[in-house]
Amino acid sequence: MEKDFHYYATYCAAYIAGFTHEESVRIAWSAAFVDNCSKTFLARAKAPLSAATTQLQMELMEMRTDVIGLQEITRIWTSFHFLPRDLYAPVKGAKRYRNKYRLLCGPNGPLLKDTIELAKSSGTLEAIGLSMHVLADTWAHMYFIGTTSLVFNTSNYHFYEKIADGNGGFYEKHITFRHNPGIPDDAVNSLYTATPFSLRENAVFNLGHGRLTHLPDYAYARYRYMPSWKNYEEVYKDNPEDFYKAFCQMIYALKYLRGATDRFETDTYDFEAAKPYEHEIRTFFEKRQIELAKEWKALSLKLSGKEFAPFEIEPAAVEYIDAGEDRDNTVLGRFIKAALAQKSMVTNKVFKSGNLTCGYSVNYEEKGLKGIKDYFKLLELHNEDRINQRRKGREQ
Amino acid sequence: MTKFKRATILMISAAMILTAIVFMVSPKESYPVVTLILSFMLLAYGIRQIIYYIVMARHMVGGRLILYIGLILLDLGLFTATLSVIPLPYVMLYLLGGYAFAGAIDLMRAKEARRLHSPEWKFILFKGVVNILIAVICLVLIFVGTTIAAVYIYSAGLIYSSILRIVTAMRKTAVVYIPQTEIERIMSLK
Repeated sequence: MEKDFHYYATYCAAYIAGFTHEESVRIAWSAAFVDNCSKTFLARAKAPLSAATTQLQMELMEMRTDVIGLQEITRIWTSFHFLPRDLYAPVKGAKRYRNKYRLLCGPNGPLLKDTIELAKSSGTLEAIGLSMHVLADTWAHMYFIGTTSLVFNTSNYHFYEKIADGNGGFYEKHITFRHNPGIPDDAVNSLYTATPFSLRENAVFNLGHGRLTHLPDYAYARYRYMPSWKNYEEVYKDNPEDFYKAFCQMIYALKYLRGATDRFETDTYDFEAAKPYEHEIRTFFEKRQIELAKEWKALSLKLSGKEFAPFEIEPAAVEYIDAGEDRDNTVLGRFIKAALAQKSMVTNKVFKSGNLTCGYSVNYEEKGLKGIKDYFKLLELHNEDRINQRRKGREQ
Repeated sequence: MTKFKRATILMISAAMILTAIVFMVSPKESYPVVTLILSFMLLAYGIRQIIYYIVMARHMVGGRLILYIGLILLDLGLFTATLSVIPLPYVMLYLLGGYAFAGAIDLMRAKEARRLHSPEWKFILFKGVVNILIAVICLVLIFVGTTIAAVYIYSAGLIYSSILRIVTAMRKTAVVYIPQTEIERIMSLK
């Protein structure tokens, strides 16, 4: 999804779920920051590089697509943007094919429940924000996989956009993609810029929905196409409907994360809480605009009556650098912890399913502290949290 | 990464470095070997595409294209492998393409890193400039070059690539997973 949804829509969902204005802003910031926490940014802040939740275009272009490089790409994109729906999905074919098939992203899988439970146990607003990003993207990135793949992430010429004709009906337009990265998408004229075609299975051009540009992220988009993996079956994607469901599911999950309800189940939505705003939200989902920041911002103002600053990443880096020894208690410090925990959890689940596309996972319980050093921080931070919780418990 | 995989990468990298050194010691005699390796790479690529079709692409919409391309590459690879001499300009063009592409990516990456105030941008820029310089040298050598220069550039690339492989093989790559039960146990001991 686009930044407007991750930032402003998450704020609205958090506020509706009962968080205060300040808490909602922090949750929204973390949800949007998932698309900005690159290795380059972390290197600048002198933070653990393994906490990267995204990769910049040029970082990707520079990456070696050997086994290790591909595992790193898959860990990032699978954990935060293309959460697999079913790691044990039955499918015929060679192991290499099967492993990638099982990474297909979709909403309401068991990993989504694990993500929400992890955020709940982490207990920080940053972890909650991060989990909201993951949840929202399971809807937008449905039918793609969070790794490089020609076989799974492409489509053929059979691609049609369904456009409202203004009289309550729809007409269809055949879509062809442009490949000049200098030209932005044009929603009004249905002109979209996608990555160029590459015959190599593991070319970075074939990562996620790159071959279909950002169309899956646009709230107004309704389209039918033939995904390369679906055996010549057509898929119809209705983003306005899916994005509204995502919003209602966020409210439901946020109520659980706040402690207002005592369980989280997949495929459950808080339509009731969103009802007073449904018409407004559905109306701006129909606007053929790449970004709906203005519309979401207006709704957030209507909800809380408070304005808040546009999304920025610089203050978090400055706070983290200036905090010195105490940097783990900054916004970025807590976000890093949440990111490491999510990546570690997803990698472990994928690894345990017999799939090595995310790499190896070392269980601390069995093998102790082995593996990438950055993750040792996870234990230290988990302990600190528990110590603080115990202290708080004793004080009360 | 398994220990076997790690050992395999290290052995292949050591062999590549050794080969590059042999090439540099006797460049004149090595030129036909270098061209033969390049031909076999094309052949191997063709075979890989056919395997890729069997394992993956046959499930894909329009995947038969991969099979046709694999067959054409295999044919081209077989053809070039049977040629006794490949003219120098073709080898130089191949090297030029690789270095120019890598250089251009590095320059764009340096620009991106600088925009985000990342300290690594200077190193990336340096790498980019070196790659572009080698590409320019390849371009000049198309017209005035000798086979010796081609062998030297190819060997340097081989050594650089081997070092990167060794660095990758030595890296710790496993992700630590801490089950919630273990966290509780540690805390109960405190």
